[in-house]
Amino acid sequence: MTAGMQATDRRRSGVDATAILPPGLRRAVIAVLVLLVLAPCAYILVASLMPDIEVASGAVVPSSVTLENWVAIWTTVPLAQGLGVSLLVCGVVAVLSALLAVATAYVLVRFTFVGRITFLRALVGLQSVPGTLLLLPLFVVYASAPTYLGITVVGTTWGLMITYLTFALPFATWVMVTYLRGMPVELEEAGLLDGLSRIGVLRRIVLPLSAPGLIVAAIFSFLLGWNDVLFASVLTQPRTRTAAVVLQAFGASQEGGALPLYGQVMSSAVVCAAPVVVLYLIFQRYLVGGLTGGLK
Amino acid sequence: MSTRRFLAVAGALTVAVSLAACGGGSSGGGGGDHAGQTLQVYLSKQSQYPDEQQQWMQRIKDEFRKKTGADVEFETYTSASEEQQKIQTSVVSGQGPDIYEIGTTFTPTAYSSGAFLKLGDEQWNAVGGRDRFVPSTLAMSGPDEADQIGVPFSSIPFVLVYNTQMFAAAGIDGPPSTWDELVADAKKLTQGDTYGLAMDYKDPFSPWKYIWMFAQQYGNPLVQGTTARIDDPTVARAYDAYFGFLTKDKIVNPDAVNWASADATANFASGKSAMFTMTSAGVIPTLAKSPVASSYAFAPMPTVPPGESALPAGGVPATTIVSGQNLVVASYSTQQDLALQYVDLVTSEAEQQHFSEVFGVLPVNAAAADAVASGKEQYAPVLEAGKQAKPTPFTGAWSEIQLGLTNITVQALAGLSSGSVPPDQVQRQLTELQQTAQTAVDKAAAAR
Amino acid sequence: MSLTSPTDRPPTATAPTGDVGGPVGAGVRPAGPTRRRQGPLWLMTPGGLLLLVVVVVPFVLALWMSVTDLDQYTLRQWAGAPFLGLGNYVEAVTTGPLLHSVWLSVAFSVLTTVLTLPLGLAAAFAAHDRFRGRALVRSIFLIPYVLPTFVVGTVWRIALGPDGAVNTVLGSVGIAGGNWLIGDRTFWTLVLVDTWAAWPFVYLLCLAGLQSIGREVHEAVAVDGATWWQKTVHIVLPSLRGPLLLAVIIATLHHLNNFTLPFVLFGSPAPDQVNVLPLAIYSASFQTFRFGLAAAMSVASLVLVLIPLLFYLRAVRLDTGLEKGAQA
Repeated sequence: MTAGMQATDRRRSGVDATAILPPGLRRAVIAVLVLLVLAPCAYILVASLMPDIEVASGAVVPSSVTLENWVAIWTTVPLAQGLGVSLLVCGVVAVLSALLAVATAYVLVRFTFVGRITFLRALVGLQSVPGTLLLLPLFVVYASAPTYLGITVVGTTWGLMITYLTFALPFATWVMVTYLRGMPVELEEAGLLDGLSRIGVLRRIVLPLSAPGLIVAAIFSFLLGWNDVLFASVLTQPRTRTAAVVLQAFGASQEGGALPLYGQVMSSAVVCAAPVVVLYLIFQRYLVGGLTGGLK
Repeated sequence: MSTRRFLAVAGALTVAVSLAACGGGSSGGGGGDHAGQTLQVYLSKQSQYPDEQQQWMQRIKDEFRKKTGADVEFETYTSASEEQQKIQTSVVSGQGPDIYEIGTTFTPTAYSSGAFLKLGDEQWNAVGGRDRFVPSTLAMSGPDEADQIGVPFSSIPFVLVYNTQMFAAAGIDGPPSTWDELVADAKKLTQGDTYGLAMDYKDPFSPWKYIWMFAQQYGNPLVQGTTARIDDPTVARAYDAYFGFLTKDKIVNPDAVNWASADATANFASGKSAMFTMTSAGVIPTLAKSPVASSYAFAPMPTVPPGESALPAGGVPATTIVSGQNLVVASYSTQQDLALQYVDLVTSEAEQQHFSEVFGVLPVNAAAADAVASGKEQYAPVLEAGKQAKPTPFTGAWSEIQLGLTNITVQALAGLSSGSVPPDQVQRQLTELQQTAQTAVDKAAAAR
Repeated sequence: MSLTSPTDRPPTATAPTGDVGGPVGAGVRPAGPTRRRQGPLWLMTPGGLLLLVVVVVPFVLALWMSVTDLDQYTLRQWAGAPFLGLGNYVEAVTTGPLLHSVWLSVAFSVLTTVLTLPLGLAAAFAAHDRFRGRALVRSIFLIPYVLPTFVVGTVWRIALGPDGAVNTVLGSVGIAGGNWLIGDRTFWTLVLVDTWAAWPFVYLLCLAGLQSIGREVHEAVAVDGATWWQKTVHIVLPSLRGPLLLAVIIATLHHLNNFTLPFVLFGSPAPDQVNVLPLAIYSASFQTFRFGLAAAMSVASLVLVLIPLLFYLRAVRLDTGLEKGAQA
């Protein structure tokens, strides 16, 4: 490294002291990564406008463009209904898991009790339990609910909700634990001195202050439900199928017999991905801030 | 920490949960009057005919309501894994659909679970009697006549489809009757990027059927009594011939290592292959829209195995498994009488004929089958193959054997694409599979 | 679990007290003096209850199933399936594909995690700097991660076919693509596709971590005249230790348990080269109906993962918030 280059670096970093990469390198990194991301995405979009035969033959540039696939998918598969169910289930899960996570994390961070460390470790450990292990026994538990409690769980949207809610909790709680750790306790103490109860503190002070963390927890929970195929495929009925299951089934049904409807597979993939992408774009700003709290 | 608060929260949660539960659907109970009852039917999705299937469902709903006053609710599955997960979870929990449409090769597993209604004379009579059905289709209803659970619903025999124009151009009279003849014909038909035979080596369902077929023709049913015969030389020979189409005879497009059934069909439809084996009448709509629309015909596959000029002693002239769908009634169902009425409806002559016309599968109803045969010349060879269909071993061990046979092909694909499959690789896997299979067969025997 | 037990215990002796905010990547703020003994523990009951019903009870059931001969014959009366003791475990280790699959899964997870680290770090560094269009770039980087896994799998399976788009593109620059979905290359196909989908997670955590480096630190470094490389190695990376560790743990666990991607890409039975644990378990459970055996395989693999994980967690104290090494 020559003295001249160091001087350049210094001058540049004078412009933006927080910058890490030299501008040239930064541009190169961004160019490469954006290409890496967008090339396949562009292909999905283009392929959704191509006739099936062209997708199958590996065309990258379509010889003709058609909107047929986009029109056809709504009648080929119950995509609209699936999207509705997914949005409802994942939306509810996102909100509830964030709220439950902040309550749980608050206790874990601010209080001490027997089993606290175990619980914290379990939060990480729980994420390594394979879904395939729990599928059958969980179904057994749900299926026995009508016998012992007189309520039907399997096939209902709320059955799916509590499943995803629970699966989302460990990571959501983890995010909130790390976030709350980074939050100063002085405000809470002031609140207590002002006569607020612990719950009052949680509601009036912790909740508003941890909004960015809540958003992160909510978004990750949303995505968990949106992505799941394994549990949704056995816990739902035709009327409660999620978009993931609908798309998965559509993809699988293209295996046998005639030429697969590749174009429609692509366009329905775009439709299923769009809500999550939009969601992320809206909350992108908070996402980074929300993870910041505890990740020091 | 107050206990009161804890209880309050727990209570609130319980209330919330039970309130939410009321939102869930529930089906009505039984009774003499079927009005208000809902029958749940789980069946395979006809992905080639989505609109037609919707119309068919509506038709059956209307007919069934007219007949019994009860409603039918359909649920469809699109893949074997979806089907099996559903059945398992229903079996373990004792709740779910009343009627399942299951594949013939999955019926032994379903039977072994003991979770489906056994059909005695009374039940058979309720669905029109055994005589209503094409005899060969009953072969996969149960291990023997006294223990049956499956009522045939559709028949999908496997056949050979060939390009008549290419055959004529090469001076070949008609479809081959031995596999060696097929290979010889295919060699004549292979030139440039056109191949004599299309194959679907990467299909999840086809490969094991070839092995079963050749082994049968060599005289090995794979499971004989309570003995698995996977390590018998005939099985290795079957794989050798099956892979040899590509590696030795060179009558198959090398790309076929990546083909599933749909891809092979597409290749045949584009006129790039002269024959395609182990296919069904289900390809008719695809072919009808293709360049070969007016130049294809079906035929049963050859019955003399590769390397033989006549059927070996003890060999069985098997070409197609007894293939198609059976209907089974769940033993946990509280409306089995109603379920049987549904089965009666959809296996009636009129409905079978209609179903066959719409979806291109063959009727299992004998009268409907005759009507279809006389109406459509194209179907005659397929019906003929169906009549000669041979059942796969009816043992609870079959799923394991079928998966193992498929797996051997999956692992051989890399070798296939590079030009040769190491024989010792196949042999080693066969030895392993023999052990697994024998254990599974023993277990099945012990469980009966 | 003693989560709601009213009995209290003094805080662990190792808990440091007071403020330890270092200049760079300050350590997590321990609750020290404010961590109370009397707390509204009931706040944890809804979450705890859910975990109990949806995870713990099924998990215990799964443990029970793993020591019974639960299969197609006994499924209907699953509670009465014959007790086998450790029979399933012995079978899984001695005859099944378990060991091979464990090895594959570990190799796949570690490799994928290792590959995503430089990508995620580079992206975080680049997106951290100020420039026009930064918000857009930050959003674009997230796309692969938010695409549902089955979408990623389906699209890549179609694109990686022998006549697929990938080979078309490779062919146009004179490279024969060959088979991506069969044979020896499948393992790398899986690693690459998962890397493509997973690196933004590392990026996200690192980007968040970068925010916590104070402006005064950056300025001090600038005054010292350090090169960007020196700054990266001596200041930035050490301060990212926490987020990177978290990313490594969570990402590795997710790769280990990723069933959807290999299943959609390769189906089941999968080529031996990609017969990772989730596929092997799926096959035993839902294709050959050996539920007891499958449960034993799952439990065995879980233990294999948990042992190093727990040792690791203890060592870095990431779980307790008492991390020591963060104050660079």
